[in-house]
Amino acid sequence: MTNAYLYKSTKRLLLLTLFTAFYTCVAFAQDGEALFNSNCKTCHSPFDKVVGPALKGVENRHSEEWLLKWIKNAPGMIKSGDPDAVKLYNDNGKMQMTVFTNLKDEEIKAIIKYIVDVKPPAASVAAKPTEEGGEEKSSNTWIYLLVAAFVLYLISGILRRTQHTLAQALRKKQGVPEPAAMTRWQGFVHWSRNNKKLLAIILITLFMFGSVKAWYGLMSIGVTQGYKPDQPIKYSHKLHAGDMKISCIYCHSGAERGKVAGVPSLNVCMNCHKFVKQGPTGDKTEIAKIYKALDYDPDKGTYGPNPKPIQWTRVHNLPDLAYFNHSQHFVVGKIECQTCHGPVQDSMTVAYQYSKLTMGWCIDCHRRTPVQMANNAYYNDYHKELLAKYGSDSLLTVERIGGTECARCHY
Amino acid sequence: MSHNHNHTHNENSGTAVEAPLSEGLGRRYWKGVEELQNDAKFVQLKNNEFAEHLPLDEIVQEKSNDVTVTPRRDFLKFLGFSVAAASLAACEAPVRKTIPYLIRPEQITPGVSNWYASSYHDGYDYCSVLVKTREGRPIKIEGNTGSSVTKGGTNARIQGSVLSLYDKSRLKTPMANGSPESWENIDKEIAMKLQSVASAGGKIRILSSTLISPSTLKTIEEFGKKYPNTKHVVYDAVSCSAMKAANKESFGVNEIPSYNFDKAEVIASFDCDFLINWISPIEYARQYAATRKLNSGKKSMSKHVQFESTLSLTGSNADERYHVKPSMQGAVLANLYNAIASKAGASAVNAGPVGDLGKAISQLADELWSSKGKSLVVCGINNTAVQNLVNGINSLLENYGTTIDLDNYCHLRQGNDADVAMLMDEMTKGEVGALLIYNSNPVYTSPMGKQFGEALKKVSCSVSFADRADETASACQYICPDNHPLESWNDAEPKQGKYSLTQPTIAPLFSTRQFSESLLVWAGNTTNYHDFIAQHWSANILKGKSWNDVLQEGVLEGEQAAPKNYKTAANLSAAADAVSKMNVSGIEMSLYEKTGVGSGIQANNPWLQELPDPISKITWDNYLCVAPKDARDNSWKQGNIVEVKANGVSMKVPVVIQPGQMPGTCSLALGYGRTAAGKVANKVGVNAYPFISLVDGQMMYAAGGVQITKTVEDDHKLAATQTHHTMMGRAIVKETTLEDFIKDPMAGNEKELFSVKIGKEEKKLTTEELSLWDEHEDGNHHFGMSIDLNSCIGCGTCVVACTAENNVPVVGKEEVVNSREMHWIRIDRYFSSDADPKEHESGDIKAMEIPSDNPKVVFQPVMCQHCAHAPCETVCPVIATSHSSEGLNQMIYNRCVGTRYCANNCPYKVRRFNWFRYTDNKKFDFNMNNDLGKMVLNPDVVVRARGVMEKCSMCVQRLQEGKLVAKKQGRKVKDGEINTACAQSCPTQAITFGDYKDKESMINKMWEPEGRSYHLLEELNVQPNVFYQTKVRNLKGEAHTEKNG
Repeated sequence: MTNAYLYKSTKRLLLLTLFTAFYTCVAFAQDGEALFNSNCKTCHSPFDKVVGPALKGVENRHSEEWLLKWIKNAPGMIKSGDPDAVKLYNDNGKMQMTVFTNLKDEEIKAIIKYIVDVKPPAASVAAKPTEEGGEEKSSNTWIYLLVAAFVLYLISGILRRTQHTLAQALRKKQGVPEPAAMTRWQGFVHWSRNNKKLLAIILITLFMFGSVKAWYGLMSIGVTQGYKPDQPIKYSHKLHAGDMKISCIYCHSGAERGKVAGVPSLNVCMNCHKFVKQGPTGDKTEIAKIYKALDYDPDKGTYGPNPKPIQWTRVHNLPDLAYFNHSQHFVVGKIECQTCHGPVQDSMTVAYQYSKLTMGWCIDCHRRTPVQMANNAYYNDYHKELLAKYGSDSLLTVERIGGTECARCHY
Repeated sequence: MSHNHNHTHNENSGTAVEAPLSEGLGRRYWKGVEELQNDAKFVQLKNNEFAEHLPLDEIVQEKSNDVTVTPRRDFLKFLGFSVAAASLAACEAPVRKTIPYLIRPEQITPGVSNWYASSYHDGYDYCSVLVKTREGRPIKIEGNTGSSVTKGGTNARIQGSVLSLYDKSRLKTPMANGSPESWENIDKEIAMKLQSVASAGGKIRILSSTLISPSTLKTIEEFGKKYPNTKHVVYDAVSCSAMKAANKESFGVNEIPSYNFDKAEVIASFDCDFLINWISPIEYARQYAATRKLNSGKKSMSKHVQFESTLSLTGSNADERYHVKPSMQGAVLANLYNAIASKAGASAVNAGPVGDLGKAISQLADELWSSKGKSLVVCGINNTAVQNLVNGINSLLENYGTTIDLDNYCHLRQGNDADVAMLMDEMTKGEVGALLIYNSNPVYTSPMGKQFGEALKKVSCSVSFADRADETASACQYICPDNHPLESWNDAEPKQGKYSLTQPTIAPLFSTRQFSESLLVWAGNTTNYHDFIAQHWSANILKGKSWNDVLQEGVLEGEQAAPKNYKTAANLSAAADAVSKMNVSGIEMSLYEKTGVGSGIQANNPWLQELPDPISKITWDNYLCVAPKDARDNSWKQGNIVEVKANGVSMKVPVVIQPGQMPGTCSLALGYGRTAAGKVANKVGVNAYPFISLVDGQMMYAAGGVQITKTVEDDHKLAATQTHHTMMGRAIVKETTLEDFIKDPMAGNEKELFSVKIGKEEKKLTTEELSLWDEHEDGNHHFGMSIDLNSCIGCGTCVVACTAENNVPVVGKEEVVNSREMHWIRIDRYFSSDADPKEHESGDIKAMEIPSDNPKVVFQPVMCQHCAHAPCETVCPVIATSHSSEGLNQMIYNRCVGTRYCANNCPYKVRRFNWFRYTDNKKFDFNMNNDLGKMVLNPDVVVRARGVMEKCSMCVQRLQEGKLVAKKQGRKVKDGEINTACAQSCPTQAITFGDYKDKESMINKMWEPEGRSYHLLEELNVQPNVFYQTKVRNLKGEAHTEKNG
């Protein structure tokens, strides 16, 4: 025991030390990365030409002194006729680089350091161990439970054996003959005769448990909560809406205007992906699917004559008999997308149906949620009427203005 | 009255009912001749609203010889299997794909509709329209309020035209000699043939309907430059050729005038159905209704007198209606001319006898004369002499420059009958080398259709531009299918100086090309037609205005010339002599057009075929209307097949006994009996066009000396909606006369009071005060509708508009026969009678038969009344119908289990039950049975499943949308911003929709309980949110009853 404990502590300590050391080492580089992301990334990538050239190896192409000067005032250098600067300007489609007078020398150096250190994305696979750790934790619980069940089973076996042996011994001592051997069924009947109450309790419990199961089973028919179909493109909402912080409405603009939020058309994708040609892990296959659908040549930047639309699989399917309008909820009701669609930006690497989308689920929300009446002139007089009747804004739920009437959604 | 009792079926009726018929102020209404005659079948139907026999097996079972009894074991097997299958199917949700745009067009947001201003003209109807598109599909047409011609009105055919776009009978490619061909090859061949015809000096003829597009006319001009031997012949199936000729003789202006019905105080109409079929009916209907509105204290209205033989829609709206045979109209006009001439001091003309109409004519002359300059005489007879007399009368009345405008004339109905006859002649002689037929179907519509078809064979290059291989096109060598107007660029000039543009709202569905484009190609002009129009407009029409602005608004209306007063210079004595010779003997037949099918251009449109005729209420047919008296005399029964002979043509048609038809006359509708229009129209009815004769070189839409003989053939099934919805003899339509209305605005709208004892006090209370029900609390809105019975002309536009908006299925003739039509709104038509009410009280209902020869007619649109105390809501066992806080009676299809209790308990009988699945069902092979036709469906409205009840939702999808727009913009809903489909489509604005909670709203102004407003069946106290306005006729008081006919 003690040995094991010691071993564990040492390991932890070692890990902590190693981690701290690693963190200290990368801290500076990470600083450079942050600076790179906020200042350079719009036009540069370390590995690819975006608007400006690929930056890997820039420290070999130019002196640090030149680079500092260039980054702080590129147009000035071109104007002054610096041959390297003019060449760079001509080679990159005569596009001038933005002036970065706000950057300090140390910061620029950090950025260069980052460029020197940064590895192609395919290699940088991190973050996995923690996830696995999480899974381990949850599977541990199962193991404990199984072990406990096994132990209980053993104990009960031992107890039964003991009881049996004791009973045999007792019978022997009293000279009572061994009871006739019974078949399993006879044994069960015999047992149930002697344990009527217990049997009844077991049966009733089983029946109730079964009914409840059956009820929920039936109620879940047609409920596709958690539906997570494969999509033609491995599009990650977590990456776009979470990491990149792109507003939902940027792509699903229909939510603001009409009943369907809409799957964005490819021209919306191209607003960014004309420049962003690979994912954060350096993978290009998924983005290439967009280019293929549009028959777009990313190197030349030209569109071909054979575009072919992408067939997505719908995740949220309301039946035809229900009318639902996104703009009603998003614009008028000011409901956050996440209320119904869940933590899209936090965890949805693959989109899935977060909510039940059953009528009961709709109605529950309509019963709870107050209407945004205060600053909407549509409700003016009605708002006053309702306030006089119910007292406060928080009590003016959707239901109170008829939001659970049938023909609001069914017609 | 015993002389009326000699028909056989009265034996049945004597025992069957004693139920009183509808009663309204001494004037009684009945739903049709069956009710009037107390027909045994009618009584049965009336007592049993839902037909007993349900031919389920016939419809459900594919093979009729199948054993229809399922053995018990099989049943259990099926049951077990279907339960298992259903639960399996339910567990697995289908995978649905979604395909976004590659590059989304900026203006399209999926789920949000786009509107485009455009115009519709098919040679018969013109309308400036707004087209609603969803995801690039046109799904609904509304009137463009920006147009001063149609002013936002539409008619049934305009409403239906969006479905004609998705007609699967349309040609998908050009055809050469019956087989598909590419445009490239066909262009080569035709250009070559044209060239060879031209070089051989052969005649090239373009035969078209009236073209109101200046640019199209210019392309014909261009074509003529390349092929100088070209002549453009204009041919209208229903022609107004004589009007132009008469105007040339009378005033030297070879044009059709513009009419201003809104400036007329007295309107006299002779065989003229101007409200629905004559020249520019949408325009006239709006103008006419404007003179007849009696809201907000207005106490004057126009007087309308109609002279006709067949009960037209216009005639049924008249204040006074007189029976005149078609051949006698000239004599009546001559007498009217003389009566007015004597007042004006002009010389009289030779006028023949007019029987007992003398008094009516002199009375009309007095009225017209006293409204000199503010009166209008119109006539629909296509005869120059008759039209000259009409011009003479209008000229004496000084109506030119006020109610008639010859300076800003109309461009519709330009057909020239003489040119058409000449073309026939040339073709027969083999002189025509090439014939291009656009928007015209002479093999079907011409009285000489057969000869035309024969002569066509002599033409070495015959080209049709029809959108389908119709009767004429299939006889042509080439068919170069034209685009539908909703796929086309075009312009229109319906009236001098009033322009509108047509823009495509969808890319051509098939490989079709516009007529004008084809002409340009063959003329060697490489400009595409859109650019051609734009160039023509910027050079001649725009005058500095922006093309895009006009495109957005749809119309461009310049300054109008001040209309001048014209005096006729025609020889009226000669005209009078000519008309006196027109008198023919024997039975006369008039040929008319129905509101739905019209001249037959859109005959293959199931919405229009299923629209009940406003007068006979019969769908899916044409038939010979005969007078009840003639039917009695000849013992014809409804549905008997008779053989009609006239003008050397003979046809077998079913008989319909039509009150209001003049004895000694009959009538037959044009536009039916198609043979090559498509599955919907083919074999529906008979083709009446061959009965047209040429009189004085003009096409006469009437025939004399008609012989009608009863055949021994089985009776024809007529699919009528008329006897299915009896109001069980209660007062439904409230009516009064103008004189009484001026004295008391509540005339005819007396409220019924009930005596009740409260404590010891005896009180007289209205039903509302007696109510036992709790009132509903209003939400932010309280929607309702007002229907002005004085404005409703019964045209049925609302029915088609509702069908289009709400995905109402077409059920077909058989199911209409079974009383299962699905229309959410119907127009009840009641005939009235002036029989003595006392006789009725003594139990003798048959007394009402006497004036049935010329009854008064009222129309009443009935849809769900959205009762606050709805009887349907209380009986639904599953609460599938309930009341909303906004005043709607909601119907939830997916909750409905189909008990039909609600329909039984509805006092208005407005609920319709889905007996079958009407989509993807080959038994109902209409637009919902093919992918093309389904494109017209409104995606905001559910397509109902079999076995559920449905009814008017007050266009709840529009209400929700309108509210949402306001909410998003943070403002109140503006009055008039939200409108129901029926109200929006109405050409006469008879229906007003609005919010009672908006104090300034139109609907609150319309609600005049101390005036004309009343609820239908008020005594039931169901408190509908729909109310009606009393019908007022411009007649003297109640004591003065019109007896005529």
